[in-house]
Amino acid sequence: MSTKKKIRSTWLLWPALFMLVAFFLIPTLDILRASVYDPEFTTKHFTKLFSSNVYLDVLWRTIRLSCIVALICAVIAYPISYFIVQRPRKQQIFFLFLVFIPLWMSVLIRSYAWMVVLGREGLINAILIGLGFTDAPVKMLFTTGAVYVAMVQILLPIQIVTCYSAMTEIDLDLMRAARILGAKPWQAIRRVFLPLSLDGTVTGAIIVFMLSMGFFITPALVGGRKDIMMANLIEFQVNQLNWGFAAAISIVLLIGTVLCVIIIKRLSKILTGRLVGGGNA
Amino acid sequence: MTKILRQVAKVAVATLVVVGSANLALADDKEITFSGSGGVVGKVSKEVWFGPFEKATGIKINHVAAEAKRMPQLEAMVKSGNVLWDAMEVSASDYPLGVKKGLYEAVDYSMVDPDNKLPADTREEFGVAYAAYSQVLIVRTDKLPDGKKMESWADFWDVENFPGPRALRGRAEDNLEFALLADGVPADEIYKVLSTEDGLDRAFAKLDEIKPHITTWWTSGAQSVQLLSDGEVYFCPSYNGRITTLVSSGIPAEIVWNGGAMHKSYLAIPKGTKKLKEATEYVKYRTTSADRMREYVTHLPYPGWAPGLFDGMDPKMAAGMPTYPQNQAVQFSASAEFWAENLDAIQERWTEWLLQ
Repeated sequence: MSTKKKIRSTWLLWPALFMLVAFFLIPTLDILRASVYDPEFTTKHFTKLFSSNVYLDVLWRTIRLSCIVALICAVIAYPISYFIVQRPRKQQIFFLFLVFIPLWMSVLIRSYAWMVVLGREGLINAILIGLGFTDAPVKMLFTTGAVYVAMVQILLPIQIVTCYSAMTEIDLDLMRAARILGAKPWQAIRRVFLPLSLDGTVTGAIIVFMLSMGFFITPALVGGRKDIMMANLIEFQVNQLNWGFAAAISIVLLIGTVLCVIIIKRLSKILTGRLVGGGNA
Repeated sequence: MTKILRQVAKVAVATLVVVGSANLALADDKEITFSGSGGVVGKVSKEVWFGPFEKATGIKINHVAAEAKRMPQLEAMVKSGNVLWDAMEVSASDYPLGVKKGLYEAVDYSMVDPDNKLPADTREEFGVAYAAYSQVLIVRTDKLPDGKKMESWADFWDVENFPGPRALRGRAEDNLEFALLADGVPADEIYKVLSTEDGLDRAFAKLDEIKPHITTWWTSGAQSVQLLSDGEVYFCPSYNGRITTLVSSGIPAEIVWNGGAMHKSYLAIPKGTKKLKEATEYVKYRTTSADRMREYVTHLPYPGWAPGLFDGMDPKMAAGMPTYPQNQAVQFSASAEFWAENLDAIQERWTEWLLQ
């Protein structure tokens, strides 16, 4: 491509760049500004934030919950994506369609639906009691477990789609080549397919992780009293018009999220290296 | 690069022009924009208040339903000098917030209530109380032990005699008051006790007792109704108006007025509105028209203080109102001032307490 052509084609990026700068970068910088200027330069919001255990405790809970949700999504989505990739083209579209259906429903409605399923007098308990497995209803709703179930169900389609599109990029001939060169079927998957698809899986997991970090409706509806997320604290402060403090919490959440993403990336790189070079199966 | 910037600036200016002219298009002398509750409240208000108000004064009401985040929106409007609302509903806890930040116009009482007929405690400098609502204990009567009746917060705390799942609202307001009442503090001393460090400790200590028995901590009124109607919990405080939803869907439920927290909702006028006179007109209409208010409470039990409201009201309906003398007598008046002063600090302790 000539330099001239190159320059012309970067034009295509401009709308996206403009959107990013106008609606993401500038507001983010504004939040950063609001956290330290109120109206003069001050560190009082961060001092307040770090002088109490609550905020870091909730940040840790938010990170832990998001990591677990991302991990569960990755593990469940991987075989599903692999299954879909192996189907003929027409069937792939059908299966992807099935995956997409839940995405059309609002998160709020799906959360309420889980309340109906998991509740004391809900579907599962009615079946368990009806079949005589238990006399008293099992407590499922308003537990951290319920938060995992609901969030995984809500975020799984995103993971499957990301993972699937990464898998379609993989040339299946490479697996055949590995087999010809003497790899056992399991070895071919582990040392060829898995490392090649890991990048897509990790990308999906990072997206799920980042989305989870900002969740607050679902944990508030189906979780227990300890399932408080950073977003809940931010919402409270915004409603109290404490913009500066809300901004400080947001910045801490943002930094926490970015650090976690970097760590996840690093770990996946190490893992890929291990898998490719890895010892004998 | 400068070329890019020029391009960006052009787009930005074009956007501003479009947005600006859209605002101008809304400007019409005989119309005010009112930010009120949506849902069933909005529907009933349209029928009972907006329509008749337009008939009486010729001022049309453009209703925008603001479910939540009303205060952040208001502050953004006032700060940017682009006030889109001419009048608005403000909850008891949000009222002092807006006063502190200077977001409201002062109320012109020579216009709203020239003869001084509204009760003094409903006439605030920057807002007029237009409705009362209570957070009261709602009991599923079919889930009570035989022959027993739940009558107080002490009973709510008594898990031996009244077994069954319970819920509380996930915020400190009202709950600390309920805890002190359950602990035997007289209603008129609640805020005196809460203002001391020992009193606060006492409230949290009492809440410690009930904590393991609370199934969930609700965040919206709709959720509390859902919990009671699904049988998820048997005893749960909620807004008095929510009982209507439960009873009309055939669920045996009852309000315990004793120990309820009575709140006031205000009408306020955002600072910088261009329709100050028309907006004040509506505030007057909404707070002083007894016949309209009587009609309104047949749909929703959130009465105001219009003089003569209870005259000729069906006694059975009157008994369901939070301001009905017998009900008001056993409730306490929630202190918006106390919470405006202390919410930030207490909420932090509350969150910490929830996480323990």
